[in-house]
Amino acid sequence: MTRSEFISHAALVIIFVLAGLAIFPFYWMFVTATTSDANMFAASPQLVPSLSQLGIFAQIFEEGAVKTWLANSFIIAAGTTVLTLALAIPLGYAFARFPFWGKAGVGIGLLVTQMLPEAVLVVPLFSIFSPLGLLNSYAGLILANTAFTLPVITWILKNAFDTVPVEIEEAAVLDGCTGINALVRVVLPVIMPSVAASAVIAFFHGWNEYVFALTFITNDTLKPASVGLAGFIGEISTPIQSVMAVGVVYTLPAVALYLLMQRFIVSGMAAGSVKG
Amino acid sequence: MSSHSHGTQLARIHGSRWLPYMLVLPGVVYLLVFQGIPLLQEMRLSVSNTSLLNPSRFNFIGVANFSRLLRDPNFFNSIQVTAIYVAGCVIGTIGLGLFAALLMDREFTGRSFVRSLIIIPWAAPPVAIALVFRWMLNGQYGIVNRGLEPLGLMPAEGLWLDNPSLALITVLAITIWQLFPFTAVVILASLQSVPKELKEAAQIDGAGLWAQFHAVTWPVIRPTVALLALLMTIWSIRRFELIWLLTQGGPVGSTNTLVIDLYRRGFIINKLGEAAAVGMVGMAVSVLVTIAYFAVANRATRAEKMR
Amino acid sequence: MASVILNGVRKTFGAVNVIPGIDLEIESGEFVALVGPSGCGKSTLLRMIAGLEEVSGGEVWIEGRKVNDVSPKDRNIAMVFQSYALYPQMTVAENMSFNLRLAKKPKAEIRERVAEAARMLDLEALLDRKPGQLSGGQRQRVAMGRAIVRSPKVFLFDEPLSNLDAKLRVAMRAEIKQLHQKVKTTSVYVTHDQIEAMTLADRLVVLNKGHVEQQGSPLDLYNRPANLFVAGFIGSPAMNFLEARAARGDGHLRAQLADGNALELDPALGVADGQEIIIGLRPELINNDAGEAVCGEVIMIEPMGAQTLVYFSYGGKTVTAIVDGEHRVAVGETFRSGIERRRIHVFDRASGMRRDPE
Repeated sequence: MTRSEFISHAALVIIFVLAGLAIFPFYWMFVTATTSDANMFAASPQLVPSLSQLGIFAQIFEEGAVKTWLANSFIIAAGTTVLTLALAIPLGYAFARFPFWGKAGVGIGLLVTQMLPEAVLVVPLFSIFSPLGLLNSYAGLILANTAFTLPVITWILKNAFDTVPVEIEEAAVLDGCTGINALVRVVLPVIMPSVAASAVIAFFHGWNEYVFALTFITNDTLKPASVGLAGFIGEISTPIQSVMAVGVVYTLPAVALYLLMQRFIVSGMAAGSVKG
Repeated sequence: MSSHSHGTQLARIHGSRWLPYMLVLPGVVYLLVFQGIPLLQEMRLSVSNTSLLNPSRFNFIGVANFSRLLRDPNFFNSIQVTAIYVAGCVIGTIGLGLFAALLMDREFTGRSFVRSLIIIPWAAPPVAIALVFRWMLNGQYGIVNRGLEPLGLMPAEGLWLDNPSLALITVLAITIWQLFPFTAVVILASLQSVPKELKEAAQIDGAGLWAQFHAVTWPVIRPTVALLALLMTIWSIRRFELIWLLTQGGPVGSTNTLVIDLYRRGFIINKLGEAAAVGMVGMAVSVLVTIAYFAVANRATRAEKMR
Repeated sequence: MASVILNGVRKTFGAVNVIPGIDLEIESGEFVALVGPSGCGKSTLLRMIAGLEEVSGGEVWIEGRKVNDVSPKDRNIAMVFQSYALYPQMTVAENMSFNLRLAKKPKAEIRERVAEAARMLDLEALLDRKPGQLSGGQRQRVAMGRAIVRSPKVFLFDEPLSNLDAKLRVAMRAEIKQLHQKVKTTSVYVTHDQIEAMTLADRLVVLNKGHVEQQGSPLDLYNRPANLFVAGFIGSPAMNFLEARAARGDGHLRAQLADGNALELDPALGVADGQEIIIGLRPELINNDAGEAVCGEVIMIEPMGAQTLVYFSYGGKTVTAIVDGEHRVAVGETFRSGIERRRIHVFDRASGMRRDPE
């Protein structure tokens, strides 16, 4: 074996080891969920999932809480997605296409808001939401989440709009399409992949979000899965198999959709957050 | 033709000079209401002794919160923890990400499959990650200790996250594990813009792997890596959920970053004013880092143009 | 009746005066090419006719209507863009019918008009494809189809062929010409390529720095360029320019060149004795042994097959001539040729303006 052959073989081994490390915890979540009580505390751990235990995934849904959590997460995430896109599309379009008074200021604002930790705004948002009755509501969480997705998604979409030649829009204007009509009928369809990627990013921000949900939601029927699942941490009465099964069910949609959209999400995130 | 005039024209042919303002207004108002006003309120809180028990009472106490922080060893501990955590994140995610990206920047069977696997940690919810790592690092039954015990590598009493001398490094490792996929994929994308002819020219000139990287690859990816460093810094200063769920800042403050400290002061000790003061410090650090970054980046672009 | 009228049309970008004021009348059915180097304002002028660019001053009339404040879609024009500007998410048929659909025309009419345009441009087999699946030439035809379908009063072309390779450009040039002969719609065509302009247009308008240098038929401009700019711009390879001094005596007029050579000129030219002038010699016309002798040492030759370019020194400059490919010439030899006296262009050096017999 020559030196360069050796290097490329070694590189391949390392890269597969890295990939293995990256997915092992998820694999382990699944293995744990399907381990029987007897094997759980045996002298040598069970290393592969046992298919006879797959019933656990049906079991966790029999209890109402898990279903409610996931449904709540879905509503919050979907709401965050819709609101984010509704605000970010016009904002990103204006940033890509038009000069306007205060553009630099708004740009700096969008940059600075990306630096604000959620934890810093928990208290003031709590005190704003409290008199408006937005605590213990989906709306409150959707409003808070969107404030954090909006800056990033705006940049992603701005960069996408930048790639659409102005001539296409001029052609649309000559064809009789003006204003919002040209945006909706001609420009948006061109950048659909970026819009879809943005939707996925916003959705999973809402799906994953924890701090606001923890602080704003005290009513159990409104709790999303992030808070519900976090409740298992440090708690010992629920069997670990059930906890891990819920973890798998909660993680799966996020990972699956990311994988489907990964090409667009990665380039979008790279362009949006990095260049932004 | 300047882009400025182009844009104005576009607004005009779309029928209204006010179009851009109509497009921008909803988003700007939204950000003002849900980011701007809360931020101002947080600033106001930082000069009050408002308590969580009575959040609407405002009592101006000047810079007392800040001067108390200056006398508080816990605060200096958080600064130190934050500095170590941020530096570790930046070095770890970028080092490992760059390494992985360089390894993946070649043709091999299963490349896109591997790339998909590697991206998974970044896509997963922090709550699930905290949950599974706490289980894997469980002192008695965790797979990590079960694997390390026969090798004699298990830490004292099998404690990781509950071990004051190991907790920070463990949290750091988990963070890097979650984030390196992102830096790897972004760097990989930028590696693909390195001109192949340039690498070949360097090979013909007799450059070894390191010389090729130094002379050809690095200059192309350097701006991307620099931006990632900024992003990793800001994200690390902000990070709350993962650390909170893994350790809640403990044991004995060993993972108590500024943001965790802020949450503890506000929601555990109920001192909203002090919490806000900590938040202001965190914000100021983020903003300063960003300004410094753009100052350096601008000077670099100017120097580039001079050449 | 004039189809398009520009009346003192001006354009300023901020403090920059791009077009200080242009008057132009384009007849109905005429094919006019706006030609000039990049930055001469030709595209801006076209975009002002289209309404994509605001007019800073003056008036634009289309078909007897002042359109300064009429929106682009209501000007009854169609435009073919340099980048084609096809809608990538729509099929060829959808691209072509977009305007008619927006105008809520009946479905049957839309179908018929798209089919007709597709037949004319040989696009029938491509109607269900997306632009991404088409070659450059096909995209170009779709862009033209989109314009034709609307049956507008005026076609505007903005460098439509400059993204194509040389061979395809010649083919598409012919297609555009045939198309115009068929539909006879008023056309305004912007290009920086003088050959494209010459071959296509009924009339050329040569623009430079925002003003009209000269306008006229292609042959007019070739045979009687009004000034040095037009003389140098029209024709390929470009005209040779030689600095000279006019010398009158015994009813003769001579051009004294820098290297001591002299050229006999038409004594009727409006040139005074001792006047500083520029002599213009077209390379393809230095081929006449009977005319005024133009000879010099050969510096370089470029055989192109049918013809050969000969570079030789004459009048203190390197002069280009085109000779038959059969003609044997070698570097270092003396090249002997000549040019008919009436083919020699004379310009005043100070003003750059053409001098004609008085």
